[in-house]
Amino acid sequence: MLTHAPGPRLRRARGIETPARAHRWACRAVVLASLGAASGAACAFTATLTAAAPKAIYLQIGAGTFTGGNYTPIKGNGQPTGTPGKNTTVNTVSVSVPAASVGNGTAQTMTTDSSTSTSFWDGYSFCNPPQQLYIGGFYRTTGNGTGSISLIATVPASLTDGAGDSLPFSQISWTSAGNGDGNIAQPFPAGSFTSTSLNVGTIGQNQWAESCWTFSYSNSTVPAAGTYTGVVLYTLTAP
Amino acid sequence: MSFTLRRMSRLWFCIIWLLAAPAFAKTTVIDDSGTLPYNAALAMRWAQAVPRGGDGLLMVGQLQLRLHLNVAPFQHHTGRIFLVLPMQQPGGMSASWTTAGRLLPGAVQSGGRTLVYSGPITTPFIEDTVQLTITVDGRRMLGTYPVNFRFEIDED
Repeated sequence: MLTHAPGPRLRRARGIETPARAHRWACRAVVLASLGAASGAACAFTATLTAAAPKAIYLQIGAGTFTGGNYTPIKGNGQPTGTPGKNTTVNTVSVSVPAASVGNGTAQTMTTDSSTSTSFWDGYSFCNPPQQLYIGGFYRTTGNGTGSISLIATVPASLTDGAGDSLPFSQISWTSAGNGDGNIAQPFPAGSFTSTSLNVGTIGQNQWAESCWTFSYSNSTVPAAGTYTGVVLYTLTAP
Repeated sequence: MSFTLRRMSRLWFCIIWLLAAPAFAKTTVIDDSGTLPYNAALAMRWAQAVPRGGDGLLMVGQLQLRLHLNVAPFQHHTGRIFLVLPMQQPGGMSASWTTAGRLLPGAVQSGGRTLVYSGPITTPFIEDTVQLTITVDGRRMLGTYPVNFRFEIDED
């Protein structure tokens, strides 16, 4: 049956036949020849699928933005209620150590100015500010892999005051939990700023991951009186 | 063989041929080469921005087609026309479509076909504007995939 197809194509190939027209002639030849059973896909129109923007990441440390509401509930048309957006807020975690307690080795719980308690996934009250800081995000990619991406914290060696005094960043640590999570392993587990570049957790392929961190100052040194500050930069990168 | 027997044999041959003929001519591929665009690029996007939940792994693409089916060989006959989505890469696909009314809207899974027209073929061409939506499991999207559709007619 297919041997009929080259006829019109060859004849027209001597002239000014274009590939598209040649294909159509081939198609018609097959149709004419296929008065019996259904023939192959010679007469098929084709849609060439290509993944557009196949990768996406979302990271939220403290405040975040979803426009239009939380991600769920899913609307009747199958689309999420809210969509992730950009939030440039830099939240602070701090503690004031009473003069009488400075350097006594009793850890001081730190608090955050972030008021984020709910997860944008479903609006669930997941963290308890000001004791806990929300940390979460997602990683979108095509393919059937089981990979993950790491969240990297870039940390200065020390916190500093305006007078040139410093305080090791390693004095600060955190625990990790989340309301309703019980004792399950957190995607962003407990740790401390022991290095200037830290892997503080991972997000699996096509997953949403979130934890709540409670920071603590170990209070095991006696620095000069002052206000010490430092900025930690969190970076999430998709390959 | 006697004259009568010969005539009987021919009669039986004709009866068998008439019974068998419709079975051979049952399904025919329709020339849809007038469809525009005939080879379309389709950008597949995540159906949901956030990867969580049952449908979080689906990618969706939409395409508008000016469908042009050459049904001249079947004019003055009655038949049923189907849109066929053959099994092919990347697999795990489904397609749904709406129409301007000449054809029926519907949906089809990979390896299946769905009725888009049933009745008499009164014109040499059937034309319609079709909004086609293709859905695929994003885990299968590892590259670029040409996906072929075709139309078949079952003559009644």
